[in-house]
Amino acid sequence: MSRTESIDGVNSPRYAVPRRRRFMIRKSGYGLIFAAPAIVFFGVFYVFALGWAVWISFNEWNLLGTPSYIGLENYRLLLTDPEFLNSIKVTFYYVFGTVVPTWILALGLALVFHRAFRFRQFFLAAYYIPAVISLVVWSLLWQLIYQPSWGLLTLITDPIGFEYVRWLNDANLAMPAVILLSIVRAVPTYMIIYLAGLQGIPEDYYEAASLDGAGEYQRFRDITLPLLRPVTLYVAVISIVAAFQVFTPTYILTQGGPGSATRVLPMFIFEHAFSFLNMGYASAASILLLLMLLGLTFIQFRLLGKPTTS
Amino acid sequence: MNRPALSRMAHKILFYGLLTAGLLVFLFPVLWMVSASLMRREDVLDTPTNLLPPVWRFQNYVDIFTEFNFGNYFFNSVFVVGSIVALNTIFCSMVGYSLAKFDYPGKNILFVFILATIMVPFAAILIPLYLIVRELGWINSYQALIVPFSVNALGVFLMRQFMLAIPDDYIDAARVDGAGEFGIFFRIVMPMSGPAVTTVAIVMFVTHWDEFLWPLVVTTTDQYQPLTVGLAKFQEQYGTEWNLLMAGAVVAALPVVLLFIALQRKFFAAMGGLSGLK
Repeated sequence: MSRTESIDGVNSPRYAVPRRRRFMIRKSGYGLIFAAPAIVFFGVFYVFALGWAVWISFNEWNLLGTPSYIGLENYRLLLTDPEFLNSIKVTFYYVFGTVVPTWILALGLALVFHRAFRFRQFFLAAYYIPAVISLVVWSLLWQLIYQPSWGLLTLITDPIGFEYVRWLNDANLAMPAVILLSIVRAVPTYMIIYLAGLQGIPEDYYEAASLDGAGEYQRFRDITLPLLRPVTLYVAVISIVAAFQVFTPTYILTQGGPGSATRVLPMFIFEHAFSFLNMGYASAASILLLLMLLGLTFIQFRLLGKPTTS
Repeated sequence: MNRPALSRMAHKILFYGLLTAGLLVFLFPVLWMVSASLMRREDVLDTPTNLLPPVWRFQNYVDIFTEFNFGNYFFNSVFVVGSIVALNTIFCSMVGYSLAKFDYPGKNILFVFILATIMVPFAAILIPLYLIVRELGWINSYQALIVPFSVNALGVFLMRQFMLAIPDDYIDAARVDGAGEFGIFFRIVMPMSGPAVTTVAIVMFVTHWDEFLWPLVVTTTDQYQPLTVGLAKFQEQYGTEWNLLMAGAVVAALPVVLLFIALQRKFFAAMGGLSGLK
């Protein structure tokens, strides 16, 4: 209640409470006015949009005629459509193939850059460059890098005997190729977040642990990892949500191919909606994507969300 | 030299050796992109791969603007992203202020709801969003590219967290002095939130400079297409003109890279600070 003292010079909590409340009530209308952009925006582009998506998913509609209601038929068809099931498989392959190495490398590099050394700022900035390159540009660049006879990668693959590797035209190599470029771009992004997390851990903890004779690995396991838990949860959730939305690299590099080897869910949805004009089918797929992601996020909060005592 | 000094030396060499090897992965491809953008068309197709242009062709950067429509794409990107950044700094601040400093029924529900939208993948709302824009008659327009991104959940959250720390005293004192609510917001709260506003602006700029799927869906002609779509179109039509494509790519990458180099610390604070959003 020091606020009251400073304004009125009266040290009386009884006096302070109604005063504060009067302001709050009188101004609550303004609170709504300031919140109005969010209410309108999220109301239209999320509540209404998601509701509409659900409704469309119950219809057959080619965008031109009138939608015809078919109930859950789209969902039934999707769950038996080998293309869709393949799409889910490919998406999971991409997501976990990308995020798991990304977490490890990002944390590893953050630990390196958490130390002080000469030219640290230069290396940090240089390593971060891929994260500020637009994903379309990054994908086009890697498309050139992957070209069989004149790409940059041939400088490594040719001397060791792998000549004319058709990265993007081989059903077994296309996805690893897409994953590799995604990892290189994602690592610096999450490295910086881990680094900020590491800098938030008080130095005293390490000093105390050192005095108690804890080695470097022990300090990492017993101090760094537990205290980084909120950051780890954030990184896990955000990186998985981001990876599930992958579209640009597959669109630029492979168009979903060869065959359907890189036809991730957003690609599947995009094609069914805007190439085949199958709005109901695409909407149903997008609702399933949303549900899958919510389920995964829920699991992550259960696994990582609770504060640890050990 | 004695042995500990030698081992320290070896350690150092190994450490910097590994760091430099990392540069090959993170920095080198980008440098090579610049190199390829300065080659002649046939030099990009050479085996073994040219690391540097055998003949430097700066004309590539002229060609993409004079013979192709990159100037137009560039303007569209700047205009659209600039508008998105401007709208977000104002709207996210307003909403953050409302959530931090006012009390009204449903406030907590609104807050939790806004946070929850972070989990909604764009692909899940792509179709209805397209239909809304189509109903409004906005297909192929700047509105279509700007309005659906005019408020950002992460931005709102960031502003709220920052504004919670602004003492109520300042706001109440201004009220006692008879300042209007919008005056308080624009003249006291916004200026005090400078660092958070900068963060929102940087994050929005980087995110939306990168926007691809949405403009690909809602724009149909060069007139409104941003650089990302322009590049993809160029690749489809002139797939073998790698030198020009890379020149366009460098131009598209440059604004964010320059901003990053100029504002490195702010950039890292903004991007790393996102973890503080938890």
